[in-house]
Amino acid sequence: MRPFQYVRAASVAGAVAEIRSAGGGDDSSTVAPAADLVAGGTNLLDLMKADVMRPAKLVDVSRLPLAAIEDLPDGGLRLGATATNAVTAYDERVVARYPMLSRAILAGASAQLRNMATNGGNLNQRTRCYYFYDTATPCN
Amino acid sequence: MTATDALSHTTMPPAPPADVPVTLRINGAERRLAVAPWTTLLDLLRGPLDLTGTKKGCDHGQCGACTVLVEGTRINACLALAVMQDGRDITTIEGLAAGDALHPLQQAFIDHDAFQCGYCTPGQICSAVGLIREGHAKTPADVRELMSGNICRCGAYPNIVAAVEQVMGEGLAGVTANGGGTSR
Repeated sequence: MRPFQYVRAASVAGAVAEIRSAGGGDDSSTVAPAADLVAGGTNLLDLMKADVMRPAKLVDVSRLPLAAIEDLPDGGLRLGATATNAVTAYDERVVARYPMLSRAILAGASAQLRNMATNGGNLNQRTRCYYFYDTATPCN
Repeated sequence: MTATDALSHTTMPPAPPADVPVTLRINGAERRLAVAPWTTLLDLLRGPLDLTGTKKGCDHGQCGACTVLVEGTRINACLALAVMQDGRDITTIEGLAAGDALHPLQQAFIDHDAFQCGYCTPGQICSAVGLIREGHAKTPADVRELMSGNICRCGAYPNIVAAVEQVMGEGLAGVTANGGGTSR
């Protein structure tokens, strides 16, 4: 892995400020951002080891208070961005009301990875394409 | 840019980012360390801390050989940055036994001959500790599915499942016993 700076965000505003001050955040497609967010890290660190992602700085958002799974007035659920895949899939409300989501999560990865990976990271996961993992190809 | 500037630029690369202080509780013992941000928990354990029971297999989160327990939860240490674990409780295979008394899962792996070469075994056992604590496995099929993050190239799977089932049958109380005093 290439060297990078590490900072743990103390607040959501702090995390945004860290990204902005580094000059990142505007181009989510870049593989070498001035700063990037990390929570579970299961996708990002793997890509950094493969030298596909090359952030100069990582802003750790894993401890921000964003892990709640909350009932909404319309009967829905709000899934926290830093709630892990495992916590989400086994949440009794998710199991009862969104069984397909629960089963879909549990059909993916492994127990260890689901214990680390977050909902927000899942939505931001990079392409799984083999070519993307090949730094010699033009797509990254 | 002058020639001197160009020379200094090529011969004096920017200093790498500084080490970050972290405090980890590893197998019950507090360790204060300064680690480079790009150090994985796996490399910290196996390198500076000389806890080589945790194995590096694929180093990409696919084989499970590096499985450890962080706050009692099983994770792949190869995909965890050490700096992100600051303040947390880490249990490795070295921390499971209570002195000379093996952890029930260690004993069960021996009883059922649940390994051949043994390389995946520390990860298998830590993963099984996490599995039983999670409490979602009810059947042998569940055990197989929820242990699927641990690959065994010797193919000891039937014996591994039997070992895990034996300890599940003994009840949770025996499983959470932890010589390192780190179980929750």
